[in-house]
Amino acid sequence: MSAAGSLEALGRALRALGAVWIAVTLLYIVSGLVSPSMFQLGQVVNILQVAAFLGVVALGQVIVILTGGIDLSQAGTITLTNIVATSVMMGQPENIAAALLICLALAVAVGLLNGILVVVIGITPLVTTLGMNSILFGAALVYTGGAPRGEAAEAFEVIGTGRFFGIPAPTLIWLALAAALFVLTRRTVFGRWLYATGANPVAARLMGVPVERMTVAAFVLSGVMAAIGGLLLTAYVGSPSLGIGNQFLLTSVAAVVVGGAALTGGLGGILPTVGGAIFITELNSFTNIVQVTTGTQFVLQGAIIILSVIAYRRLSGTGR
Amino acid sequence: MSDTKREETEMTTRNRLTRRRFMTTTAGAATVAGLGGLIRPAMAQEGAQLTPVGEMVTATAKEGPYRIAFSNGFSGNSWRAMAVAALEAEAAATPEIAEFVTVDGQGDINKQVNDIETLINQQFDAILVIANSGSAVAPILREATREGIVTAPFNLPVDGTDWSTYVGTDPSKKGGSLGAWLSDALGGTGKIVALGGLPGNSYTAAGWEGAQAAFADGIEVLAFRDAYWEEDRAKVIMADLIAAYPEIDGIWCDGAQVGAGAIKALLDAGRPLVPVTGDDYNGMLKLFDAERANHPGFDIGLMSEPTWQGIFAMRAAVSLLKGEEVPKQQILEPQLITADNYRDYIRPDLPDGVFTDTSLTDAQLREIFGA
Repeated sequence: MSAAGSLEALGRALRALGAVWIAVTLLYIVSGLVSPSMFQLGQVVNILQVAAFLGVVALGQVIVILTGGIDLSQAGTITLTNIVATSVMMGQPENIAAALLICLALAVAVGLLNGILVVVIGITPLVTTLGMNSILFGAALVYTGGAPRGEAAEAFEVIGTGRFFGIPAPTLIWLALAAALFVLTRRTVFGRWLYATGANPVAARLMGVPVERMTVAAFVLSGVMAAIGGLLLTAYVGSPSLGIGNQFLLTSVAAVVVGGAALTGGLGGILPTVGGAIFITELNSFTNIVQVTTGTQFVLQGAIIILSVIAYRRLSGTGR
Repeated sequence: MSDTKREETEMTTRNRLTRRRFMTTTAGAATVAGLGGLIRPAMAQEGAQLTPVGEMVTATAKEGPYRIAFSNGFSGNSWRAMAVAALEAEAAATPEIAEFVTVDGQGDINKQVNDIETLINQQFDAILVIANSGSAVAPILREATREGIVTAPFNLPVDGTDWSTYVGTDPSKKGGSLGAWLSDALGGTGKIVALGGLPGNSYTAAGWEGAQAAFADGIEVLAFRDAYWEEDRAKVIMADLIAAYPEIDGIWCDGAQVGAGAIKALLDAGRPLVPVTGDDYNGMLKLFDAERANHPGFDIGLMSEPTWQGIFAMRAAVSLLKGEEVPKQQILEPQLITADNYRDYIRPDLPDGVFTDTSLTDAQLREIFGA
């Protein structure tokens, strides 16, 4: 095989799995050399636990981005989930089921509304979901009057802080959801339609893909993933906070983009997004540990994310 | 006793804020009447001091009753909710105030400036402010003051002096007191981490500077991290710091949500709990109460950023409108909450988000928190 041919083969392999995994590994080695504590098993487990919250949320984001949209209302969904879940639970185990049902129902409603506004009214996803994000945060503020109440039930906190065979519960839930969505996107008609919708909606429609319904379904999935992420985070911290979702507004997009997805749609995948979430969390964790100021931390994070995306595009030859 | 001396004594008495006096209004009112009639009971914390700084000032007196507005920089947390409620209760209890409205800047620097502009156009008699940016609101407050409106920023300072009167704590001094407590709690030697609020905020910066100056030589600072005053952020950051540093002997924070997040990270990691600083966040007090028996090394040194401080800004504004003199600045010195007195503050029946050094009654707290 020629050198060019083997490079091409490498490129194909990378596209399937995601070049982000090379970035994840490289960053891990570099950060471990700078700060040996990154090499401890305990820290690996810690990163995987924390990455689960972003990871689950990003799984929803990538579905929407595959259709060529973007969901900036995930942050608001996470905050509202945290506020509603704690206030319904009030620390009592018998309220867990009700809290979960209400949060998931809310998330489905938010996703449906996003989807309908985009598809039926024709507002761009960016504007729709940014507006929705503001509405959801406002709703949380009105609901609490600025003073959140309630707390997670102890039995519920297990899904945020518990371990099974040494692996954090949120990580297991994240990986299970990723596996399910991997099958959904790669092995079903639904998945093919999802990619087709994002790659070229006009052609997809001609081929009989229900583009509108796919768009709505993507927003619903995104909302549900954001709610599950919010529930895991609630279980991890145990208490309500109106600012809890803010950090996810753009990190969920960053995780997807670092994973190699194109914001124009049709390109990206579940496994690379898992890698993207690990990469972002690893980077946060590394900059938390090394002695740098928050300003330097922001600059480093931004620069490394941009560099990794450039490197990925070069390696996998997508040219975008 | 000379007149000056008597005035001084009265000033000290008036400024000694006592929780008991507030809790029992009738008994308080009797005490107050005995002290000369000027004093009104609205005091939350036993031993907190309000110290006048700078010259005494006056403003153009106006006929009452007054219309007072509060430009709140944002309203997205329970501290602000309690601060607004404290002001509303004070306004309702003050016969000189006919109307009190709050406008919400929604965390937006420009919106707050517009808000204040609108309040000037509506010709309110006094404007209270918690500024999103001390430099951004300075020009508009100057304009308001020039138009004869009493302007009373509180909690967060506003640049310059073109406002009528200010009430707040001294973050540097508070941070220093917390730093000194932590240093003492560790016997002057130990490795600590520090967790602050939003990146770049001047309140944390001043507090942390004060703290560092107060540490004994044997205190080694392993790391300072911005934790956004969010429990979940603090827990994630602390989990990383735990991995990085096998020994962490103490935690300095200027907000106890952050302290609670850090303590929960230690608990999850199976590490012994350590002395921690912060404020009067109920979640921290509950955590201390629940875990102190299991963790003999766990200790708290907390100082509130009083949610009731706006009351004193409001009173100063009303005094100015009535033609009375008030200090240009009044600096609050809250009392330290420790293992010895935390039971006076803890509220097991109320949510974590309650700031327990409060002027509000139980009924008012239950209404705010829907508990």
